[in-house]
Amino acid sequence: MLVKEMMRKPVTVIEVGATIGEADQLLQSRGFRHLPVVDQGRLVGILTDRDIRFTTSSLCPTPRSGTDSVTLAMSSPPLTADPLDPVEDAARIMREHKIGCLPVLDGGDLVGILTGMDLLDALMTLTGVTKPSSRLEVALMDQPGELARLTTLLANRRVNIHSILTYPTPDATVRTVLRVDSNQIRPLAEELRGAGFTVLWPLPKSSQLHLTSKPWQP
Amino acid sequence: MATLIHRLEYAGYDFGPEHPFTPARLAMLLDLIRSLGHAAPTVAAPAATREDILSVHDEAFVEMVEALDRGEARLEAGRFGLGTQDNPIFPGMDLAGRWLAGGALHGARLLMEGADTRVLQLGGGLHHAQKDRAAGFCLYNDLAVAIRAMVDHGWRVAYLDIDLHHGDGVQNLFYDQDRVLTLSLHETGHYLYPGTGHIHELGTGAARGLSLNIPLEPFTESESYLEAFEAVVPRALEQFAPHVLVVQAGADAHFADPLGDLALTTQAFESLYRRILGLATEHTQGRVLFTLGGGYEAQVVARVWTILYLTLMDLPIPEALPEAWLARWEHLLGPEVGHTLHDPVPAYPEFPGREERSRRNRDVVDRLLDSLLRYWF
Repeated sequence: MLVKEMMRKPVTVIEVGATIGEADQLLQSRGFRHLPVVDQGRLVGILTDRDIRFTTSSLCPTPRSGTDSVTLAMSSPPLTADPLDPVEDAARIMREHKIGCLPVLDGGDLVGILTGMDLLDALMTLTGVTKPSSRLEVALMDQPGELARLTTLLANRRVNIHSILTYPTPDATVRTVLRVDSNQIRPLAEELRGAGFTVLWPLPKSSQLHLTSKPWQP
Repeated sequence: MATLIHRLEYAGYDFGPEHPFTPARLAMLLDLIRSLGHAAPTVAAPAATREDILSVHDEAFVEMVEALDRGEARLEAGRFGLGTQDNPIFPGMDLAGRWLAGGALHGARLLMEGADTRVLQLGGGLHHAQKDRAAGFCLYNDLAVAIRAMVDHGWRVAYLDIDLHHGDGVQNLFYDQDRVLTLSLHETGHYLYPGTGHIHELGTGAARGLSLNIPLEPFTESESYLEAFEAVVPRALEQFAPHVLVVQAGADAHFADPLGDLALTTQAFESLYRRILGLATEHTQGRVLFTLGGGYEAQVVARVWTILYLTLMDLPIPEALPEAWLARWEHLLGPEVGHTLHDPVPAYPEFPGREERSRRNRDVVDRLLDSLLRYWF
């Protein structure tokens, strides 16, 4: 997933000649929190609603008024991203610098903006349910072929996989979360257990909750 | 008393011997009811027409079903949820789906004509079927077809879904319709199919506040389930003032069901049915349409739905299962089988965590009610 897929465009900007009051009006009317400041189309800074509130507050050592220039309140130069950066790289920059957005530059042109909200959208797209599905959570051994063994078993049962998410855990296994197109997740989990997989969810049926019957299919 | 809707053609909705949604469930049920000495006459409803189906489904989807039914190979089948593990393609599936939808629709018509106030369709309840795709064993959404007809009749319809799984198809089809209230109690979608049914799914536009979901903890037991039901459902019906109640009465919330982890007993189901009938008397002049739904444990579904039938017919609930019935279905029931219609008391040994689960369910209900207040008053 690349920055260009998740960024907002076109970008609403403000000119360097504008006042802090005008910037505030613009942010309020659009419901934005981040405003790139441009000088003849070239990005020169970023102004946030928090910058405006602080700079016009009596708590600010050098308080500004609404008629002052935006350049007196903006952060400059801003950190930026490239449209072809993976979203996780953009997320890392934003996290490390504790900033809320990254203007996206392509050859000096401002082509989009990526905010923390867009990263939440990315997270939801990566993990979320967009189609009816069940969630399967498996702890795979961290070695070649394990994921293939898992997906092969699903493929053989004609179970379509909507999404796979993996992340390392401290106990050196790879936590693998799948959203699969199947209403029959419990029988599938039992089959995976039978094939030697460590299935974390669904849990095995509590042993108390069994009737003394053989399974449905004779 | 209630009208029973059923016909032998319902057995044609069959995904094959490996599939849990087997028509044997209906055969066992009818046989059990009759073995208990009830003639249980049924009304054979006509199949829903193509137009009836199109009142809730996209034409492209219906065309795909018809084409696959004719044996045509279509690469895009999967995009319509067809030819999957859950919804295999089978010959005659278009008509099989229309028989079931026709049954629910006929039930709706009986209610609209005033011919009866209680109808039980012995089949259907295909609540996962979406506007443009089959899903989770469900082809055509019989419930939605019936609801649509009653909305067109000018009624406000309250839909109540007590299946183990979230009633996503019905919810989605009426998500913006202010004449339909959907209420679903189910095991939380954090893990279980279909993954939806969270408390923040409240409906949209004029129907905001008319889509209600009560997602319950895995291993929720009867008491906590009924408590959550009581905290939400009566108030919602009071607010909405429906003309009719449509109930998807899946039996897979039973503790022994192999597809999920809610832990209701047959006694809880009986309480639930009686409460629903009471709510119908209170809010809809007794008008209620029941369908069946999920339920995948041979030793459970026939018993639970027989209790549903007996309750709707105001008949006493006997203690023993007929030996002849047990013998006839031994190949599905297994050799070690209970001999009572209700679960034994207690049905299973206590297991830990009950208090914690009940508290979490109460928290969920409180959050739901908090977010509903702004739409209700």
